[in-house]
Amino acid sequence: MTAYLVRRLLALIPVLFWITVISFGVIKLAPGKPTDAAMAFNPKVSLEARQRMEQLYGLDQPVAMQYAKWLGRVVRLDFGRSFLDDRPVGRKIVERLPVTLTINLCSLLLVLFIAVPLGVRAAVRPGGAFDRWTTVFVFTGYATPSFWLALLCLAFFGVQLRWLPISGLHALDYESFPLIRQWLDTAWHLILPVTIAAFGGLAGVSRYMRSSMTEVLTQDYIRTARAKGLPERRVLFHHGLRNALLPIITILGLSLPDLIGGSVIAETIFSIPGMGRLFYEAVMARDYPVVMALVTVGAVLTMLGNLLADVAYAFADPRIRVGGQS
Amino acid sequence: MSLFKNRLAAAGAVVLLLLAVVAVCAPWIAPYDPLRVSLPDALLSPSGAHWLGTDQLGRDVLSRLIYGTRISLVIGILSVGIAVIVGSLVGALAGFYGGWLDGLLMRFVDTLLSIPTIFLLLAMIAMDPAERLQQLETVPLLGGVCRAVFAALDPQIVVVMSVIGLMSWMGVARLVRAELLTLKEREFVLAARVLGASSRRLIFAHLLPNAVAPVLVSATLGVGGAILTESVLSFLGLGVQPPTPSWGSILNEGRGTLGIAWWLTLSPGACILVTVLAFNLLGEGLRERFARR
Repeated sequence: MTAYLVRRLLALIPVLFWITVISFGVIKLAPGKPTDAAMAFNPKVSLEARQRMEQLYGLDQPVAMQYAKWLGRVVRLDFGRSFLDDRPVGRKIVERLPVTLTINLCSLLLVLFIAVPLGVRAAVRPGGAFDRWTTVFVFTGYATPSFWLALLCLAFFGVQLRWLPISGLHALDYESFPLIRQWLDTAWHLILPVTIAAFGGLAGVSRYMRSSMTEVLTQDYIRTARAKGLPERRVLFHHGLRNALLPIITILGLSLPDLIGGSVIAETIFSIPGMGRLFYEAVMARDYPVVMALVTVGAVLTMLGNLLADVAYAFADPRIRVGGQS
Repeated sequence: MSLFKNRLAAAGAVVLLLLAVVAVCAPWIAPYDPLRVSLPDALLSPSGAHWLGTDQLGRDVLSRLIYGTRISLVIGILSVGIAVIVGSLVGALAGFYGGWLDGLLMRFVDTLLSIPTIFLLLAMIAMDPAERLQQLETVPLLGGVCRAVFAALDPQIVVVMSVIGLMSWMGVARLVRAELLTLKEREFVLAARVLGASSRRLIFAHLLPNAVAPVLVSATLGVGGAILTESVLSFLGLGVQPPTPSWGSILNEGRGTLGIAWWLTLSPGACILVTVLAFNLLGEGLRERFARR
């Protein structure tokens, strides 16, 4: 297991290298000097701040030097200061991260709870009525713009029926609530964003679940289990599902970039102060330090998620770690 | 199942044909001028005169949707064209030459795939790429194509389709690389090599033409994805700019009046859904067909 982990970590190094090159490319490819942008969009940036910025990015040095210096700071998690309010970018992101992670984690769980039963049920009788309907659902789900669904839900549940709050994370008088009520209030505000975020991954995961389960059900050991006269429930859930779930771990890891990316849209629509909204605001204001930092953070988060998925897979399925060693 | 899927694919093809007709014949089909502002008619709900109602400036929504079909299809198809060209080149280089070049290019592909797509797209838009794209006109060979594209299309549309294309070629690259890895060991390639064909000839005349089928499938599916992406960007106000009607920009403009004018939101989204669905069904149908061969 240790050898597997080490190998897996070493494989991350080239990807990490490219991530930093791409993030650095954002500021290098932007038109003009990055400091021009800060000046143009925020005349309040003083000459002193401008010089500090030019020094920070070492704009008078060769590109490779600039990159090396920038990398040196990024490794220490120093992403510079925002053009907008001159606050450290790292702190701005750390403030916003928990909200985004909470929403993504909740929606990941929701995806699992809906997609797994759906896929299993469809795989039990491939080509049957239920399978056909889930196929239709999956195709429609793939084609539905989730931001449009979010808008419709807002209009219907928020504005028309007034069942759910339409924006933000808290009610106006949130501060005056007792603790339990505060939690409930936040959960209440999260229902729509989490549902919408989950919708994005639902079609894909249920489809993979179906194909994974269909494949497992054709295996010899399933026939053996049935031949032994085990009840169908036990064959499906004990012998089938446990094996079919394994590849889903990888799929969940692979769906992370979409989830994190989806938070840009969901948080913008529902006015939630998370990482996605921060990114959107930074792009609108051409706040390059924040854009660079978020590209890096988004990629690193995805990478860690994939690593976690791979390790979990290797943990759950010994064939992976043993097979890899030979 | 197969018959069911075939019928779905055929339905997708029919819908796409209809959409193409709508896009080409927009000026004759649209009941009103999509840009004509008429404030007294603002926010009318759907009626006999305006089948899908009017927006906050009194423009006819149906006419705007019809013209939006043009924008969405053009951006969807051209951006996938860019993705296929870039992806095929990168995939061919990696698959044909292998070795360190393969490692370098494929790690780059892995990295781009690990960054959330929307982050990449927004970061690229934040770089205001219009100027740089226009610089491409000075490049030999490519320049002529670029000049023609810039002359024919609105600059912002060129930006949107280039950004989407340049951020979605990774799938094609992986596919082409995998195809080439197996193809280059086949006898006909060996024969061409023995006859003294150059690497360039091997790649462009022998290998890539044999990888067309899977690329075509992924391109068909890609158009649906690109149309979705365009609508997200335009909805966020970073894609097609008003007053140009794209389905995403109509949704963006309808956001402010969502509570009182639902028809501004419902119809453009339905257009996106139907179009993307049609491309995906057709793509899946093609995949099945090629897989069976």
